[in-house]
Amino acid sequence: MKRVEVRLSIPAVAPLLDLIKAVSDELHSTLAVPLALSDSDAELASVWGEDLLESQREDCDRLFSLFDQEFFTEGVVAFDRDNAEPVLRACAALRLRFRATRLVNIPDDTLEALEASSTMGELDVEAQKAFACFMFLDELQKIILKYLDPMAVEEDE
Amino acid sequence: MSVEVEKKAIWRVVFLNDAVTRMSYAVMVLRKLFGFDEQTATKHMLEAHENGRSVVWVGLRENAEAYAFSLQQWHLSATLEPDEES
Repeated sequence: MKRVEVRLSIPAVAPLLDLIKAVSDELHSTLAVPLALSDSDAELASVWGEDLLESQREDCDRLFSLFDQEFFTEGVVAFDRDNAEPVLRACAALRLRFRATRLVNIPDDTLEALEASSTMGELDVEAQKAFACFMFLDELQKIILKYLDPMAVEEDE
Repeated sequence: MSVEVEKKAIWRVVFLNDAVTRMSYAVMVLRKLFGFDEQTATKHMLEAHENGRSVVWVGLRENAEAYAFSLQQWHLSATLEPDEES
């Protein structure tokens, strides 16, 4: 099975994990993407809501399982075909939640400019940390999509 | 012998834009869920990005629900609407 090991900076990443975990905990009871069904589909939305929350919780658990003893001693996280999709989804959910809460006061164009420059001098300390988490989750997605694109499964197995 | 023909309603799955999700992620999900090639998935992603929405599938309600649920599971916003042309 294809496996990608990534060495991360423990001093850079470890301080972000508490905040990511706090946001992940919010996703235990709140969907990252509110359902967009019509009022006539209220019953369907209720059923979906529970199933989607369960899926969201499982994905976030898979993400946090990356940060185990090996990470805190070696700085290494490993992606493979089993965890690639749940981790991709967890990163997507967490980024959406960061944007909707901790980064909600930043206009879209400002956030885009910050992402392009990877600088955050204009932000207050709390927003800087949230932005660092936002960018870190984006980096994890980029790595998985580059090396373990789920659409490439048939090509290399 | 009589044959009853029931005309079933046709529904659209509409993929809605968001300003956060990485474009390459959205393209990958559209390819995975709908079997689109890269070009088609990119076209839908760009259409949603520019117009706020893109109809990604049309068909029976039961299938439409399954597709919309899967999009939501990947944290891509989607809605269902009746296909008025059917």
